[in-house]
Amino acid sequence: MKPCLLERTTVLFAWAAGLLLTAAVAVLFGYLFMHGLEVLNLPLIFGKTPPWRALLLQERVFEGLFPALAGTFMLVLLAICWAIPVGLATGVYLSEYAGPRVRRVLDALFDVLAGVPSIVVGLFGFALAVFLHRHFSERIGPCLLISSLALSILVLPYIIRTTQASLEGLPREIRLTAIALGATKLQNIILVLLPKSLAGVMSGIILAIGRCAEDTAVIMLTGVVASAGLPKSLLSQYEALPFYIFYISSQYTSPEELQQGYGAAIILLLLCALLLLAAYGIRKGLTHLVFYRP
Amino acid sequence: MKKHLAFLPLLIAGLLLGTFSPAFSGSLDSFKNEKGVLKISGGTAHIPVMKDAAQKIMTANPDIQISIAGGGSGVGIKQVGEGLVDIGNSGRKPTAEEIDRYGLKVHQWAVDGVAPVVNPKNKVSKLTKAQMSDIFAGKIDNWRQLGGENRKINLYTRDEASGTREVFWEKGLDKGNVTAAAHVVVSNGAMKSAVAQDPYGIGYVSVGHIDRTVAPVALDGVLPTIETVRNGSYKVARGLYSNTKGEPTSLAKKFLDFLSTPEGSRIIEEHGFIPLR
Amino acid sequence: MKKLHELVAERLLCLSALASSAITLAILAFLVVMGLPLMRAGGVLPLVYSPWAPFQGSFGIFPMIVGTCAISLASLVLAFPLSLGCSFLIAAVAPSAVSRGFRRLIELMTGIPTVVYGFVGIFLLVPIVRELFRSGSGMSLLTAALVLGIMITPTMTLFFCDSFDRIPKSYLDAAEALGASRTQQLLHVMLPLAKKGMLTGVLLALGRAVGDTLIALMLAGNAVQVPTSVLEPARTLTAHIALVMAADYESPEFRSIFTCGIVLYLFTLTVTFVVRAMGSAKDEAA
Repeated sequence: MKPCLLERTTVLFAWAAGLLLTAAVAVLFGYLFMHGLEVLNLPLIFGKTPPWRALLLQERVFEGLFPALAGTFMLVLLAICWAIPVGLATGVYLSEYAGPRVRRVLDALFDVLAGVPSIVVGLFGFALAVFLHRHFSERIGPCLLISSLALSILVLPYIIRTTQASLEGLPREIRLTAIALGATKLQNIILVLLPKSLAGVMSGIILAIGRCAEDTAVIMLTGVVASAGLPKSLLSQYEALPFYIFYISSQYTSPEELQQGYGAAIILLLLCALLLLAAYGIRKGLTHLVFYRP
Repeated sequence: MKKHLAFLPLLIAGLLLGTFSPAFSGSLDSFKNEKGVLKISGGTAHIPVMKDAAQKIMTANPDIQISIAGGGSGVGIKQVGEGLVDIGNSGRKPTAEEIDRYGLKVHQWAVDGVAPVVNPKNKVSKLTKAQMSDIFAGKIDNWRQLGGENRKINLYTRDEASGTREVFWEKGLDKGNVTAAAHVVVSNGAMKSAVAQDPYGIGYVSVGHIDRTVAPVALDGVLPTIETVRNGSYKVARGLYSNTKGEPTSLAKKFLDFLSTPEGSRIIEEHGFIPLR
Repeated sequence: MKKLHELVAERLLCLSALASSAITLAILAFLVVMGLPLMRAGGVLPLVYSPWAPFQGSFGIFPMIVGTCAISLASLVLAFPLSLGCSFLIAAVAPSAVSRGFRRLIELMTGIPTVVYGFVGIFLLVPIVRELFRSGSGMSLLTAALVLGIMITPTMTLFFCDSFDRIPKSYLDAAEALGASRTQQLLHVMLPLAKKGMLTGVLLALGRAVGDTLIALMLAGNAVQVPTSVLEPARTLTAHIALVMAADYESPEFRSIFTCGIVLYLFTLTVTFVVRAMGSAKDEAA
């Protein structure tokens, strides 16, 4: 039996869409690498400073991505540090302790939180900084601390969701064995359930790291600047890789600077892609489900 | 961001390894015993000078960290007024009301102009003030009406916080209307690269920022250059200001003083502005 | 009988759950408190429908609301067929090896930073749009919508695939036993059954499009006008917040960006609750 017109069109349409999207990705990568490949070298990161001296913080880096990379690194580290304990605890609570009604309400709140645009989270962070500046300490303003707190809010749903999902996904036998042997609920969670769902939890954390590294909107409002050097304290302003890319895209002053922008975009792209692949390698199919769990 | 700045947070580590011997000289002497953080934000015309000066100072004394952000003159004035930064730059003089409200101390260190610019490929190189006002009001909307190509004019303007916008609007457009259809960019740097990339664009930048990627447009027969600003024949001129809330902190004062040393003046001149002594 | 540390642990876990969920509400509270004086001065409605003219004392966000709607809906129009096609390819059309590889690629795409999309958009797409249509600067509603469409396609595709995957295998087996080809199964069994799940995907992708800042900020030109053609520049609510950043939180400009924040927040709230309502309706039917 020959397929009818509708079916043939469907097949054609599917292939066309697939090719189009693949082409779009290919163009994106191709374009970046075409323009940025030749600057992908150590001077891109360290400028004229010897790399080991920059890494040991013995010499300042001018004309390199080092401060932006270091800023992003610190930002991610801090944000994840704030988000992991709260996210894990909340995920465990939702899956193991909360009653159905409480869970329903909290689930709804986290669905909302997952959907709040990052610029709104940034605005919240900025308002918080101004509030603290007025009422607590003159020294507080938009800074690394505020940015990392705001980012941790942004990625909290990632960690909560993945923790919750992997705990809930554990089979009954695993849940009950330790209990039957006399373990308490807490012992069961810490010694059995969490280790068993480590893969899911880890993939959530990695996704959160990727999200922290790429987000620009939050940090734009909460303390990132075009030029700052390495942050001296939690209350310092700082540079970050995604903001650098944004800044260069509109205000490059020379072709060399623009090339650095391409280099920075490639670095960020590869960084995020690798993190994502790692997260998928550990556990499949979670990224998009952060926004809503069907 | 060519002059990328990093610094050395661990002076001790440097000293221990004996690799650290800052070369203090001349204009930078006063920073010898300073340390701490200096936050600067606001006017975007100022940024190249600020960055250069900051790099010189931070190279000479690794104990100092200077962070530089843009935002525009309005942001600079407000942030310094709120105490969020130490120095708030502005490309216009703060109003009496602003000075009064925040207790600002105003420090002018250069004279600059604001020039209409087009893409170098554009054949239109001079306009009257009336034509300029009509272009920005949207009444003239095709380059053909000005002797150029038959293409729509793409307008670029700045955000509300911009001092450059305010000066250009007041002195270049005689406070004429700017159409809402204009693209909005956030800094002098962004304006320059937007016009440099758009063959049919027109915008305005600080005279100091003009380079070969954009072409200044003569206004009523006077080409905006640093010379015509200096001799007063180009009228859309303005000062570049750095403001502090009350008396500047020790570090902020030294930074501002540095701008009027010979070294500072050289940096200001290098970036296309006229230094004030 | 519970031991003390069991109780303490439970309390701690409960506390962190409450704290983190309270953040959701705290964000809204902050936005409302900061935006309140402006709203109180002129009422909420005028803010939403009046134009942005700070020099005339008008801080309405109407053009930004229109800009956001136009750009995100246009991106949806582009992304929907693309996602539909891609999910067909993965679910039924392509041989399994290609299907698996393509799904990997799409998953990878969800990790591409939006700032990178914007960066490539400025230097590659903007000149193309400018010369192709010979009108405007190339920074336009269309340019932003094109890139935004590519950006949300992976998310939408993955949601579509999920709802295909959730269809009980017995249904497909039954269709296959009746002699239906993969494509026929897709069109006559999978598609009708997955409709609701797909709508969820569309709504969540719309949420992402509305919430994105960088692509519109970098590519849409940011003119504060109600665009009359897709080749004109426009400004979204998100880009507006990023552009109007002044630290003087007494000024009406500053307060108006909190109004934008509230509008975006309420939008998120609506999407979330519509999606959840659809989800629970489905549970009852099953």
